[in-house]
Amino acid sequence: MESQSLFTRVTGKNVLMSFTGPFDTEVLSIFGKNIENSISKNLKLNKTIFKVFIELAQNVSYYSLEKEMTKKGEHAGVGTFIIQDFKDYYYFILGNPIDEKHEAILRDKCSKINSFDREGLRAYKRELRKLPPGERGTGNIGLVQATLVSRNPLDYSFIELNDKEAFYIVAVKINKN
Amino acid sequence: MENISIEGSHTNFFVPSVDFNFETGICILSGESFLEDTIEFYDPLVQWLEEYTSEIKKPITFEIKLTYFNTSTSRSILDLLNILKEYEDDGGEVTVNWHYDEDDIDMEEDIEDYMLDTGLEINMIPFDEDTD
Repeated sequence: MESQSLFTRVTGKNVLMSFTGPFDTEVLSIFGKNIENSISKNLKLNKTIFKVFIELAQNVSYYSLEKEMTKKGEHAGVGTFIIQDFKDYYYFILGNPIDEKHEAILRDKCSKINSFDREGLRAYKRELRKLPPGERGTGNIGLVQATLVSRNPLDYSFIELNDKEAFYIVAVKINKN
Repeated sequence: MENISIEGSHTNFFVPSVDFNFETGICILSGESFLEDTIEFYDPLVQWLEEYTSEIKKPITFEIKLTYFNTSTSRSILDLLNILKEYEDDGGEVTVNWHYDEDDIDMEEDIEDYMLDTGLEINMIPFDEDTD
């Protein structure tokens, strides 16, 4: 999806929840709790959104180019998330700055994830899970899990910020039914 | 060797309940797992299981009743199941029962994938969350 259309969505109506700042453990837990308890009356649907939130937000926390020292002394990645409420689905968007050199790698990761059917994606997740934590490529597992849980492909896009940085946006649709 | 007993909680993070008993050989992991430091939490469980399977060497029944775990936890669960599989391959008597909400298709797939990954037979036991 092109940046322009993603941003048209975001600047439109239907924003249910949004945040910009460091994705530290406190932020993850506070928003996680809110999502779990109050997005909709359907607790199973809330749980699905929660699962997507946790997996994607942790990626921002670990991989955002911009870091901020929190009160607890954590170096948390800075980013933005938005949840929008549409008639048939929720739209969950996350964005964070990245080194421009990583754009091609991330684009390939997202494209690879979207190329799998469900069985292929499960096999890919198993492959990633066997890698030791912190090893190159393990960050993909959160993206894979978000795709599996949401049962929709990733929307992703990149906005050039300057010669060295880009803004990476990843979004997933979570169907209400 | 000592038993491990941890009371689970659901606050900012989700701590699973743990009841590993070396006298009965019954190990229960239940609740939800989304932790601030996954490795710090699961390392003692991994070590406990390694000690049990190398020193106690009695039958073991592993009961999993997790209703949610994140991908970070999923690696630690794989570590635990791999130890059980090695124990079984060495002649240990291992039973793994995984209780899951019958409506939770993601969990059902996760259990199937663990069986593929480890080669361990896992008894899949569905329950009805609304009535159980």
